[in-house]
Amino acid sequence: MNGTRRTSPHPTAAAPAGLNRLTPADLPALAAGATLLGSGGGGDVALPARLLRHTLAAAPVPVVPAAALPEDALVVHAGEAGAPDVLSERLPCAEDFARAVRAVETATGRTADAVGIIEIGGLNALAPALAAAELGLPVLDGDLMGRALPRIDQTTLALDGHPACPFALTSPAGDTVLVPTCTPRAVAPLLHADIAALGGAAALALHPVTAGTLRTSGIPGSLTACVRLGERYLAARDAPPAELAARLGARLLCAGRIDELRPRHGAETGSVTLHDHRDGAVVRVDLLDELLAVTVDGETLAATPDIIVAVDAAGHAPLRCDQLRTGRTVLILHLPALHRWPPEAAHLVGPRAYGLTLTPATGKTPAPAGAAPERSST
Amino acid sequence: MTGASRIRVADLLADPLLHGAVTLAGHGGLERPVTDVSRHTADTPAAAADGTGDGIAGHLLVCDDSQITPPHRLDALVRRARTAHAAGLLIAAGGGRPLLSAVRLADRLELPVLWLENAEPATLLCELGIRVRAHELTRARTVLALVRQLGAKTSGHDILASARRTLAAPLSLVTSDGTPLLGDPVPLPAGLRLDLPVPQQTEHLLVHPVQPLHEGDSPRAAAWLAVPLERADPDRAETLAVSLAVVEPFVRSWLTGRRAGADRDAVFRAGLLTEITAARDTVSRDTVENALSLGWRLQDWHTGIHLTTDDPRTREDLDSLLAPLRSELARHRVHIVRPVDSGDGWAAWISSPAEPRPEEARRLLRALRITLAALPHTHGPALDIAGIGRPRRGPAGLADTLAEARDAASLARSHAFRPAVEHADELGVARLLATLQRSEVTRAFAETALAPLRDPEHTHLLDTLRAFLESGGSAVAAAQTLGVHRNTIGARIRQIRERLGIDLDDPSRRLALQMACRALDPHT
Repeated sequence: MNGTRRTSPHPTAAAPAGLNRLTPADLPALAAGATLLGSGGGGDVALPARLLRHTLAAAPVPVVPAAALPEDALVVHAGEAGAPDVLSERLPCAEDFARAVRAVETATGRTADAVGIIEIGGLNALAPALAAAELGLPVLDGDLMGRALPRIDQTTLALDGHPACPFALTSPAGDTVLVPTCTPRAVAPLLHADIAALGGAAALALHPVTAGTLRTSGIPGSLTACVRLGERYLAARDAPPAELAARLGARLLCAGRIDELRPRHGAETGSVTLHDHRDGAVVRVDLLDELLAVTVDGETLAATPDIIVAVDAAGHAPLRCDQLRTGRTVLILHLPALHRWPPEAAHLVGPRAYGLTLTPATGKTPAPAGAAPERSST
Repeated sequence: MTGASRIRVADLLADPLLHGAVTLAGHGGLERPVTDVSRHTADTPAAAADGTGDGIAGHLLVCDDSQITPPHRLDALVRRARTAHAAGLLIAAGGGRPLLSAVRLADRLELPVLWLENAEPATLLCELGIRVRAHELTRARTVLALVRQLGAKTSGHDILASARRTLAAPLSLVTSDGTPLLGDPVPLPAGLRLDLPVPQQTEHLLVHPVQPLHEGDSPRAAAWLAVPLERADPDRAETLAVSLAVVEPFVRSWLTGRRAGADRDAVFRAGLLTEITAARDTVSRDTVENALSLGWRLQDWHTGIHLTTDDPRTREDLDSLLAPLRSELARHRVHIVRPVDSGDGWAAWISSPAEPRPEEARRLLRALRITLAALPHTHGPALDIAGIGRPRRGPAGLADTLAEARDAASLARSHAFRPAVEHADELGVARLLATLQRSEVTRAFAETALAPLRDPEHTHLLDTLRAFLESGGSAVAAAQTLGVHRNTIGARIRQIRERLGIDLDDPSRRLALQMACRALDPHT
């Protein structure tokens, strides 16, 4: 509680091409980029994008990299937590995020200097900007996941042992839950229980950390990367599949029809089986909340935490997991990850975190009856 | 351990060990040779990934449920197995449904994935290993099991059922034309040399001869043990061939025993019937008792039936037809005794406590005709000639009616058509005469020929001529019939000769006149 809020950050230490503010013009690219980085999950960005359009039209939201903030500047991360189905039907409100952030401020005894982004995939890439505008704070150019991930402990901060608490949840009715302290293991169960009590979805603020911590433990520049990715996507959207992939810096893993959709059961992953019409390869995409892994002819070519995107073959609109249908023709793209997770994070964000036992590609092909699958890598 | 690579995945699939297994995917690879069977473990792919020659190349990998749970693991398993040149995957799973991707991938890589529900992987591994690598052991076990099983079996049905169970193969005992004696019919392909009593094998059939039962029999096989094969590798075929050789003596022993019993029985019955026909009404007590033991009620009314064929030398081949004939007749409510060999055919009869009504004869004739026509005659001579006697009573009556039946059969044999059945009544003179007497030609002849005797003052001459002819041309007999002196008859005959101008010593004329007399007689 040292009084003044930092309303105009200093972009001196920002990355060369980093954004310094979010304007309405950035919004389509931001939404598109967030959808792609959602990797098939992360919730629908359409609603927060509309809310943000009005907010940004009133005043652009400043964007500041962690490097540009003072070492001890407080960053509180905000986002929406809960079931995507509830989120799609219940309007989030910028004020809820502000309340949650303020509750965390109360618990820490300090005022926030910026609002951080928990995950740069899906609607939570946009929600912090709403919170920041409401609070009159800049939004941090960076995040904790580098994509959308389903669990709150799958963050760079959690990996490095930084506590998520104090954290706060606020429902649209204003009901607020503040957890000042808790062990790391209790965070997820508490969140689940509270979100259920608050109606299935709530605004969440957590991980109050200093900018210095984020410089070492955060994923820098991901908001900028998200907007740039969105811009490239919007520019290349009408290009043929191979060109689209090339311009996104992605690998086109499959262009084919969904022949079987095996839905998830609780925490057990589901999958879709595709027939790649280019070379007849058998492609399986494992999924839970997000697209988790792509296995071509028995070899896994891409897996979480890499970013896997399914886009509709006609029009190239990104598809969420719940939009995949049997008979639909889609392109499966493997996007470069925003963040290189260390090997010890495999249990946290790798396939094993979802109960998947996969065989990475060995490069050996068993010479099937048809053509050996050759995939261009860009 | 030899000959391992002779077995292919599809051979194992056809083996009883994998009964109930389905090919989930990878049908294109079913002809992959199997060199060994091993259990899939987490180390298996690692060992195989670097080694190309050794490792699990050519192996059928046995996996259990845990290796494909969650189901997406099957994809990688298929891929690894193919990369390591495994022959196929055998999944002994409790249930669950594989992902389409695994099925597609196995199809694409042509790696057979066999799916066997509710199987014990450890047992499978052990048994399949023996099957693939130590087939001699499988063979020895099978033979041992057969010998143990069959030793206690006495009936042919039991022997075959037991062998079928042990071999897990559809075993039949068939004649040379494929007619089943026991088991299902087996179509015998033309390529087999069934005139040679040696084991033979075609692509889909294994046959083993049952050697001739008696020393004096023809060298042809008495019957054949046949096993249709969907598919069998050399090892399995060999096991089956050896097994058939083991089963054969048991079947032969049973056949021999059955034939000896039948022979004994036939000789006994033929002898008894000979005694009865010879003794007629003076049959001994022993004979009656023996007849009773066979169910023959000698004191009843009997209707004899004689069955024969165009070529009596082939009678033995037709023995097998008698049982179906009997049961078929029973369906027409005609219950004959078991036919008895009577040298030139078979004697049989129907017994009833009361005299059969006249229409019974017609019913029997009809039933026999239908039944003989319905008997199978796919080969050789057919059982299609029969004669029926008239109902007679007692042992002597049995002899008579059988003799009539035999005569009727002789007449039936002279017909150009088959089956031919004649009834003794049906060849009766009465019928012929009745037909002749009623005919207009006969009547016209009678009117003309006998006109000189027809005026009222000569009726005694007509009566005399009739009596003379009916008594066979005997004047004495005619005199007795008419109650006059035989000289009177002689005088009248002379008058008749004069009036008619006919020589009564000519048999033809005599016959014609007798017919004419009968035609004019209102009483005949």
